[in-house]
Amino acid sequence: MKTESTFKVKKGLAEMLKGGVIMDVVNAEQAKIAEKSGAVAVMALERIPADIRAEGGVSRMSSVEVIQEVMDTVSIPVMAKARIGHFVEAQMLEELGVDFIDESEVLTPADDVNHISKHEIKTPFVNGATNIGEACRRIGEGAAMIRTKGEAGTGNVIEAVRHMRSMTKGISKISMADDNELMAIAKNTGSPYEVVRTIKELGKLPVVNFAAGGIATPADAALMMQLGCDGVFVGSGIFKSGDPLERAEAIVVATTNYNNPSVLVEVSKNLGEAMVGINIDDLDESEKLAKRGW
Amino acid sequence: MKTGILALQGSFHEHATALKQINRDYILIKRPEDLNKIDSLILPGGESTAMLKIEEENNLFENIKTLIDSGIPTLGTCAGLILLSTNNVMGKETLQSIDCSIERNSYGRQNQSFEALVKFHDFTGVYCFIRAPKIIAYGEDVKPIAFLDNEVVGIQKNNVVGLSFHPELTNDVHYLEWLESFILKGSNVGTL
Repeated sequence: MKTESTFKVKKGLAEMLKGGVIMDVVNAEQAKIAEKSGAVAVMALERIPADIRAEGGVSRMSSVEVIQEVMDTVSIPVMAKARIGHFVEAQMLEELGVDFIDESEVLTPADDVNHISKHEIKTPFVNGATNIGEACRRIGEGAAMIRTKGEAGTGNVIEAVRHMRSMTKGISKISMADDNELMAIAKNTGSPYEVVRTIKELGKLPVVNFAAGGIATPADAALMMQLGCDGVFVGSGIFKSGDPLERAEAIVVATTNYNNPSVLVEVSKNLGEAMVGINIDDLDESEKLAKRGW
Repeated sequence: MKTGILALQGSFHEHATALKQINRDYILIKRPEDLNKIDSLILPGGESTAMLKIEEENNLFENIKTLIDSGIPTLGTCAGLILLSTNNVMGKETLQSIDCSIERNSYGRQNQSFEALVKFHDFTGVYCFIRAPKIIAYGEDVKPIAFLDNEVVGIQKNNVVGLSFHPELTNDVHYLEWLESFILKGSNVGTL
């Protein structure tokens, strides 16, 4: 007898993506390039974060046609973004049969208090987090994978580093705490107690943790891997660069060989222009996407 | 001697956990020089297209193929099975170690991924099938060694075993016992 979509199976797909690169794509043509370059999955979205930033307006789930076209084009898993709290977009993505749903701060939130309850939906979810409390709340809601939020569309890795370090500190604090301290940690970080207990038991998050938001070069990807991430998401960094295929391939090889400087040097040669970055200090507080999520 | 685990991408840490549990030394394989001093090999789950792309950078698979052909016990799970098959993946040749034909993502997409009872070797266990491949056909010298109902989900040719599911996500005591004897004895391990 087959039991579909158990949490083990949801989390299991994320385990299979580890050590790999997941790339943002806005159409089938980009998805093909991503697959060819060695991406382990693609993320279908309406506009890449750099364009969302430049053009403004409300950002929503991708069009049904584009998602279907991407699913028909590549053999690797296809992820798609739903707005925070927009459980109907999630239901539609489940119906479409995408392999993973990203409840993403990069899109305009649909609910400023609640996230989607993810247990009931067959499709696994990945959620962004900036610290351990946020990660624990999303896992409590049923997320099968966590990623740092970073600051999407900036080509600036500083926020991803900040969020990863914050997460690692939160995990080590829980791991070193004695059992009597766990409820206070849960209370102070706004984390579900059971998730905190699980982290204490495992010494790590109970789900896979990727880096996202601002990764633009092979060196950025390797940096996040050395900081302890399980893999990386690259958004604007690839298709806003001079030579997307070359850059995508280089980031893939760099993510596997993250602790081998000689390979990193080799793949970083002749990559063409990286995307133009944005200094985080030049952003208004209201322009920071990582603030979205509760 | 150690067991090598292909570590370009995928579930290599879970396979490493299994080897730790049976007190077996291992090394993560990313480059041809990592293959020295190994006497058995595991190819993990993950994305076969990504692995076939990443290995191009250093022609790792050419070296791995030589090693497998020399007869060391080799286990592939899910994407690992695809790599061992005689399939082509996106026009690229795989390791061609087991004469069989595999259909990728044959049970459907992630929403159709499942856990199910598998009859494997001389025990049964519940294992995960994640966007799993199907074994469509296999050669005369290939033995079926695992079944999901009447469907063949594991095959063996000499010292090489390919499974379409993920025992590494469970690492239960029966599987670990099998793994230990397979690594040490290869095809001499009992089969169905």
